Amino acid sequence: MRTLNELKRFVKEAAGLLAREKDLAAYEVYCSTGEHKVVRLNYTSDIPSRGIEEFKSLDADGFALRIVTRRDPHETGSASIAGDLSAASVREALTRARHSLIIDPHFPGFPTDPRRLDQAASAVEHSDLLRVKDTVLATAAWDTIAAAITTLYQQAPLKLAHPGFVLGGDLSLIRDRIALINSAFEDIRSDESAHFISSVTVLVEGFDAKGTATGIGGSLAELQNTAARLGRDAVARALELRHGEHPDAGQYRVVLGPQPVAEILNYVVMPSLTTRAFQAASSAYQGRFGAEVMDPRLSLIDEPDSRQSPLRRRITCEGLPSGKTELIRGGRLVGLLSTFYDSHRLVTDERREEKLGPSAVEFKPEFAPGSAYRLGEGASRRFDSHPGANATSVIMRAHEGVDQKDLLASVREGIYIGRVWYTYPINGQRAGDVTCTISGDSYVIRDGKLAAPLAPNCLRINANIEHIFAHPLSIGRKSEPAIVWGAPELYFVPALAVADLRLSPVGASESD
Amino acid sequence: MTDIFEAVDFLREAAEPALRRFIRGHRGASYAEVRFESMFGRVAVAHDGEPRDSNESEAAALGITVHHSGAGGITGHGQTGAEIGRLALSHNKLLASLNTALGDAFERARANAREKARVTKLLGGGARELSLSGLIEPSNVRDEVEAIFVRDPRTLTSGEMMNLCREGSTAVSALGSEIAYNAVAATTELRHELFVNSAGALISQRFAFAQGDCYVVAQSGSGHQEIYDTIGQQRGFEALNEGWRDELMPNPPLPRFALELADEARQLARAPVLQPPDREVVVVTDPHFNALVAHEIVGHPSEADRALKMEAAYAGRSWLLHSLEQNQIGRPIGSPLLWACSDPGLNGYGHYRYDHEGTPGRRIVHLEGGVFRGFLNSRATAAALGVEPNGSARASEAWHVPLVRMSNTFFMPGETDPQQIISDVEHGYYVCGNSIPSIAESRENFRISARRVYEIEHGQLGRLFRSGSVMADSKRFFTLVDAVGNDLRLIAIPNCGKGQPMQVKRMSNGGPTLRSRARLGGSS
Repeated sequence: MRTLNELKRFVKEAAGLLAREKDLAAYEVYCSTGEHKVVRLNYTSDIPSRGIEEFKSLDADGFALRIVTRRDPHETGSASIAGDLSAASVREALTRARHSLIIDPHFPGFPTDPRRLDQAASAVEHSDLLRVKDTVLATAAWDTIAAAITTLYQQAPLKLAHPGFVLGGDLSLIRDRIALINSAFEDIRSDESAHFISSVTVLVEGFDAKGTATGIGGSLAELQNTAARLGRDAVARALELRHGEHPDAGQYRVVLGPQPVAEILNYVVMPSLTTRAFQAASSAYQGRFGAEVMDPRLSLIDEPDSRQSPLRRRITCEGLPSGKTELIRGGRLVGLLSTFYDSHRLVTDERREEKLGPSAVEFKPEFAPGSAYRLGEGASRRFDSHPGANATSVIMRAHEGVDQKDLLASVREGIYIGRVWYTYPINGQRAGDVTCTISGDSYVIRDGKLAAPLAPNCLRINANIEHIFAHPLSIGRKSEPAIVWGAPELYFVPALAVADLRLSPVGASESD
Repeated sequence: MTDIFEAVDFLREAAEPALRRFIRGHRGASYAEVRFESMFGRVAVAHDGEPRDSNESEAAALGITVHHSGAGGITGHGQTGAEIGRLALSHNKLLASLNTALGDAFERARANAREKARVTKLLGGGARELSLSGLIEPSNVRDEVEAIFVRDPRTLTSGEMMNLCREGSTAVSALGSEIAYNAVAATTELRHELFVNSAGALISQRFAFAQGDCYVVAQSGSGHQEIYDTIGQQRGFEALNEGWRDELMPNPPLPRFALELADEARQLARAPVLQPPDREVVVVTDPHFNALVAHEIVGHPSEADRALKMEAAYAGRSWLLHSLEQNQIGRPIGSPLLWACSDPGLNGYGHYRYDHEGTPGRRIVHLEGGVFRGFLNSRATAAALGVEPNGSARASEAWHVPLVRMSNTFFMPGETDPQQIISDVEHGYYVCGNSIPSIAESRENFRISARRVYEIEHGQLGRLFRSGSVMADSKRFFTLVDAVGNDLRLIAIPNCGKGQPMQVKRMSNGGPTLRSRARLGGSS
C-alpha cells in the first residue's frame, strides 16, 4: 500500500503537467491506494471444510483525471489509470480523457471553495491497523474458530450424530488513502482510513438454531480482543435460540432490533435520501422534502467524522470537508446526501419544485455536497469510481427513547426481530414497500418479556417504510452498531417497536 | 509494450517458468496458480436526452493462489488479488508484481497452515472435519479460446456510443411529461484471461461483451413506475447498434429497447396497483419473469458452495441440501413437466469454455422431469460431494477468488403453445417481466415482483395491474406446474452479486412460459 506522501507527490506532479496544457480550462486529479484483506471463515462439523476458506487481499492503486476544455465550460472528459503513478501515465490518461469528451449542459465545474483547507493530521495516521501483519489476522481468525468449537462442545450436550454445526463469516481489514487537487484549490487534500469489521454466523442445524455476532473497530487491540469473543458469542446465541417456535401468519406487534432497522434503512430509506434520487424522481419521499416523514421522536444523520464510529472520513472524494448531514430532524426531512454535480443538478432542475414538494420552500435547501465518495467493493475508496452520494456512519437517534424493558412492554404480546435477510424495496424505491425474512436472533414476546426463541427463517415481513418509521409504538434509547452485508456505511441505530406488522409464513423444505 | 493485451502474450511464455521457480524456492509451497486478465472497456451514458458520462478504461489484474503443506500434512492456502494496470506494460514490472503477489499469498498460506495446526492440536478431535484441502486435484488442461465480435470495442469512438445512448434517451423523453426521468447506457468490453498453474494448465480465453441498460421513471397522476432492464450479448457493438437476431436471446437495437421499456413504464404508471386475492390462484408466468425464478430458486440453490454451507453467513444456504446424507439429489422437487439446466456452451451472456480453475464447462441438468439431479461445483466442492468437477468456479475479475456461479441457467422448454396455456385458464393472472426478488434464507420460499400483471378471465387477458408479485414456497410452486410453454427465451443478467466482498457477475437466465399456483402480493 502506497504512503500518503507518495500520493501527494504524484498528485502535485500530475497537476503541474495538466496546468501546462493550453486547451484546458480546469482539471482535477484524484489518486487512491486501497487494501482490503479478508479472512473468510468456514467450518462445518459434518462436511469437509478448510476452516479458513479464503485468506486474501485485494490491492488497488491508481488515479483519475477529469478535464474541462476552454472551448466550452460544459465540455468535460475523464479517464483512470491503475497501478502506474508516473508522468507517462498522466499523459496517457490525458489522451483518454480527450477521447471521452462530452458536452454535458449540466456539468457545474469543480468545487472552488474553500481554496485552502486547514488540515490537521488524521488520527488514523497513528492507527496500528495501518501496520497489521497477515500473521495477526490468521491468528485472530483461527482464534474465532477455536473459541466457537470449544464453546459449542463445552455448553451443548451434543448427543447428535450429526450436529450440523456451521460457522461462517469473515474478518475484514479495510484501509485506504487518497490525495486530490483541482485547478481551483491552492492545496492538495488528503485523507486516510483504517478499520476492521468481523461478522460471525453460527448454525446448529440439529437444533434448528442460528446465532450471530459482529464486531467493528479501529485498533489492533480491539481486533485481537474481538476475535475469540465473537466465536463464543455466536455459539452462545445459537444455543440460546434452539428449537424455536413457528408462529402463524398474521399481523403482529414487534420490536425491530438494531440490525433489522439498519437493514431497512440501508436498502430502502438511505437510497431515497440523496439529491440524485429526488432528481430522478425515484425517492420514496418524492415531493415531501421538508415534510414530516418519520415519527417526530426520530432523527437521522450521517456523521463521517463521528467518534462513535471506527470508519472516519474527513475529506470527500471531491476535496471538500466531509460534512455532517442532518437528514431527518424531529421526523422532518431536512437534508440529503449529495455530490457537487448532483446538488447543482437538482437545484437547477426545472421540475425542482414538483420533485421536492411544497414544504421545501420553507427550508430553501442548498444541499451541501458533503458526501461524495468514490467507493468500490466494501467501503474502500477507488480511483476508477465516479463520486456518488454515500453515507459513512448513519446514526439514528430517538428523543424520548426507552430502554429494552419498556420496548418489550410496549409490545406486550408479539415478536422480537433480531435479524432479517434479503431486504429489498420489492415494488421499486419510490413505493417504499419492503420485504425480507426473519433469519435469526429472534424471540416470541409474551407478557412484555422475551419468552421463547423464534425459529429462524419461518416468517416473511411485508411492510412499508412509512408504517415502520412514521408510527412506532416506542423507540429504543440507545443507538447500537449494526453491520449490513455489502453496505459501505456503518449504522448506529436504536430498536423500534411497531404495531400491526404483517408477517407471512415460510414453509419448511423437506431437507430441513 | 504499449498494448495492455500484449501482457497476456508475455505471461503465456513467462508465467510457467516463474511458477516453477517459485515452487522450487519456497519450502512447503505445494501448488501455485496465476490468473491474469487484460481488459479494455468503453461506457457512454445519457440522462433525459443529454450526455451524462463517457469513459474509456483499460485494466490489468492478477489473482494468485498458493497452497502450503506443512508438518503433519496440514495444508493452508492464501490468495492475493492486485490491479496492476499499466505496470503490466513493462515485462520487468509485471514479473515483479507477479513475484510479490506470489510471495504475499505464500506468507498467508504458511500462516494459515501454522494456525490451523495450532488449533487442530488445541481441539484434539474437535476439529476433525478440516480435511477438504487434501481432496482437491488441480487442472492440467491447455487450450486457447477466441472471442466473437464484428466491431472491436477498441476501434469505436466515444461519439458512436454516445449517439446511440442519446438517440434512445431523447426518444424516451419525447414521450412526454409522464416520463419523469430516464437513463440509457451502453457498455462494450474486450477481455483476455489467462489461467496458468503449477500442475501444467495453461488456458487463454478472450471475451467480448456488449451491454445496454435502461432505467425509466414514469408518473401519471398519483401513479408512478420505475423500470430497469438490460440487453447484453457476448458480441461487439453491433449487438446494440443493429440489434441481435437469435432464437434464444434476441434483442432490438438499444434505442428501440429503451423506447419500448419507457412505453411500458408509462402504461404501468396509469394502471392500478394490484389488489391481491387472499388465496392461492392460477398464475401463468412469462419467460422474462421465469428468468428470475430460474436465477433465484434453481440457479443459486444449485451452487454447491452455498449448498455446503460456505455462504451461510452471507447469501444463505440451499433448500436442496441439508447434509451430505439428507438432500434432494435424485428426489422429486417439482412437476414431471419441469426441467432445468445450466449450459455455459450456449451463446448466452453467461457463455464460457473453461471456468477459472481450468475445468471445462459443461451442461449440468438440475431438474429432470421434476427430479433434482445435481449442483454446479468447483474443484473443492466437487471433492466434498464426491463427484467430478463440472466447471462452474468463476470470478468476476482476476483479482477476486473464484466462487461457484451460474452460466446460462434456465427452465427447459416444453411443447405447449403459450397462448394455449393462457386460454385454458378460467380465472387467474398472467405475470410478466421480472422486477425485484426477495428470497428466504435457503431459497425455500420467495417473493418476486413482476413488471406487469394481467387478470385472466375465461382464457382472455383482462385488466393490467402494477406492483404485483408472486409469493410461494419453492417446492410447492414447482410441484404445481401443470403447463410448460415451447417459447424458451434467455435474458441477460448483468449484476448477480455474491461473495465477500461482493463480486458482480454477468450471466443468462430464462425459461418458457409456465403455469402454476401461488399467492400474489401487492403494495403494503
